[in-house]
Amino acid sequence: MNPLNLLRKFALREKFVMVVSIVIVTSMLVISGYLIKRQNEIYHQELAKRGEAMVANLAYNAEYGLILESGEELTDLIKGVAMADDIIYVIITAADGRVLAETGMNLGQNSKLISVAGSDDKMFHPKTRQTLFRSENGMEFIEMSHPVETQKHDISKENLGAVAGHPETQGSSVLETIGEVKIGLTLDNLHREITKSQTAAILLTLMVVLSAIIIMTAFVRVIIRPIESLVEVTDQISKGDLSKTVDVVWKDEIGHLAESFNRMIESLKQSQEEIEEYNRTLEQKIIERTRELEDAQSQLVQSEKMAAIGQLAAGVAHELNNPLGGILGYSQFALEKIESKEIHEFTPKDIESYKRYLRDIENQSRRCKAIVQNLLKFSRTTQTLELQEIDINQVLDETLSFLDHQLMMNQISLKKLYDKTIPRTKGNPGQLQQVFTNIVINAMHASKPGSDIAISTRFLPPLGEFGGAIEVSIADKGIGISDANQKKIFEPFFTTKEVGKGTGLGLSVSYGIVKDHGGEIKVKSRPGEGTVFTIILPLEKRLNSAEITTSRQGV
Amino acid sequence: MEGGAIKSILVVDDEAVMRDFLFDVLEDFSVEKASNGDEAIAKMKEKEFDLIITDMKMPRVSGEEVVRFARETYPHSKIIVISGYSSLSSVGSALGYGICAFLSKPFTIKQLRSEVEKSLSQGGGAADSGRKNG
Repeated sequence: MNPLNLLRKFALREKFVMVVSIVIVTSMLVISGYLIKRQNEIYHQELAKRGEAMVANLAYNAEYGLILESGEELTDLIKGVAMADDIIYVIITAADGRVLAETGMNLGQNSKLISVAGSDDKMFHPKTRQTLFRSENGMEFIEMSHPVETQKHDISKENLGAVAGHPETQGSSVLETIGEVKIGLTLDNLHREITKSQTAAILLTLMVVLSAIIIMTAFVRVIIRPIESLVEVTDQISKGDLSKTVDVVWKDEIGHLAESFNRMIESLKQSQEEIEEYNRTLEQKIIERTRELEDAQSQLVQSEKMAAIGQLAAGVAHELNNPLGGILGYSQFALEKIESKEIHEFTPKDIESYKRYLRDIENQSRRCKAIVQNLLKFSRTTQTLELQEIDINQVLDETLSFLDHQLMMNQISLKKLYDKTIPRTKGNPGQLQQVFTNIVINAMHASKPGSDIAISTRFLPPLGEFGGAIEVSIADKGIGISDANQKKIFEPFFTTKEVGKGTGLGLSVSYGIVKDHGGEIKVKSRPGEGTVFTIILPLEKRLNSAEITTSRQGV
Repeated sequence: MEGGAIKSILVVDDEAVMRDFLFDVLEDFSVEKASNGDEAIAKMKEKEFDLIITDMKMPRVSGEEVVRFARETYPHSKIIVISGYSSLSSVGSALGYGICAFLSKPFTIKQLRSEVEKSLSQGGGAADSGRKNG
């Protein structure tokens, strides 16, 4: 696994401590290692210098002893030297290798050679040889060796004056090696020191790491505590609790974060309160807006009514002028006829004629009355409804009997497809007649001569909450109504007829009447194929008593 | 046209009462009734009328077409237009064909008789299109 991935599993605090510990331990190890190595080198050098000085000194002093080959003198010489701590052994050998004096243990013969450091630059004396050994028991030591030399004088060539002053510079004298001094110097002390240093370094590292962890933990607590509290509060907020805030302890970046977080909580709270407030008032606002809309709509309808009055007046005038023409004409004519004769001159045929004139006058007057009533019916804003038990089939038949003549004139035939078993229902026969008349007249105007209009009834039985209804369909095969117009045909004053032929109120009034009956009126049409109007009248129309009373008073 | 003979009048109106009334009042003439434009044109195809009294607004074949047919077929026939609208604009293009009079409903018997007499006493038909009466 990727170590980074492993790191992800730990908490912030643990990561922090871990990383810092690793850094401290690594740097401590590097520093200690370097220092120990340096210590080792310095100690080694010091030892080597000391050993070299000693061996050189011994070699110088052993000259006479060796010349004399006096073991006693040489032994005395080395005894003093062997007193030193680091010295394991001192050996003086003759040029042929015989040991003339010896002290300590000569480990050199049985030990393993590790390295030979000859007369290198670090040495004071060019002739000193340094060799590193490891004994059988694992002890490391340095053996310093130095040749013992003496001067041989070539007497024949000797210049006596120069002998005392500068012996070595004299070309006539030769240095002769007469023996060797060897000193074994142990590295145990060095190793002990190094071990001590290593232990100290490890202890120091541990102490530093430990104190670092303690300090870090405290520091991290100080840094992380606010972050943790931030996390806690965030959790609470995510659960919808906005009551908590983050404590701002420090003025640092985290403190700023906590402050802005608290501000965020504050604005969240405000938004939440606003939303709640909205929710509380939404319903109220909807009611208000709806009322305003309704007001606007009724104002619109009212102004449309006003705007349509001109058009309506033209239509109404035309509607009235036709019967009035008959009334005025026949009344004048009757009067003229009656005035032209003495009463006794009237023949039965005259009387019959006058009766006919009067009947026409009466009929046309009724027509005028009906027109005026229709106009009043429309102008009344609150409609009244008086219900009685009716047979829809019978209401349809009565309606169609008034229209027979017109249909015949337009060469339109009727197809009655009544369901004779439909139950009686409550309704206002006059108003329903008005609805059926409107729709049939429209169908007639839309139809070509020779086509037919089918009028059918059927019973829709009760189902669940639906209490049953009677459906009346009026279908023609006329020009049809465009989709756009289908949406508007129940609107007041919408008409496709030419000016004066229709007020655009017929279907709108019909819609109102059917709604008053608790029913529905629908249209389905395809241009060029025909139109079907469907009226659904429920069997039960629940009216409250106040409404019934009003309607009785109104009629 | 023969002066002494009884003048023939064709009454065209979709309103039965108006047709009957015109028929009754114009008892001194030979009056025929037509309840719509089709019927009027059919009757005109059978014979020439001295005077045609026609309504303007009728379903399908309108008064305008009746006037046009009459004028094209019988240039000497007189034409009186009656309408439920008081405005002359309802006469529409029929004005261009030369009509003798315009009577708006309801009109008095006196007005009717006067216009019928005036129309029938005029010499030409198509040439005179100037007379209008509200």
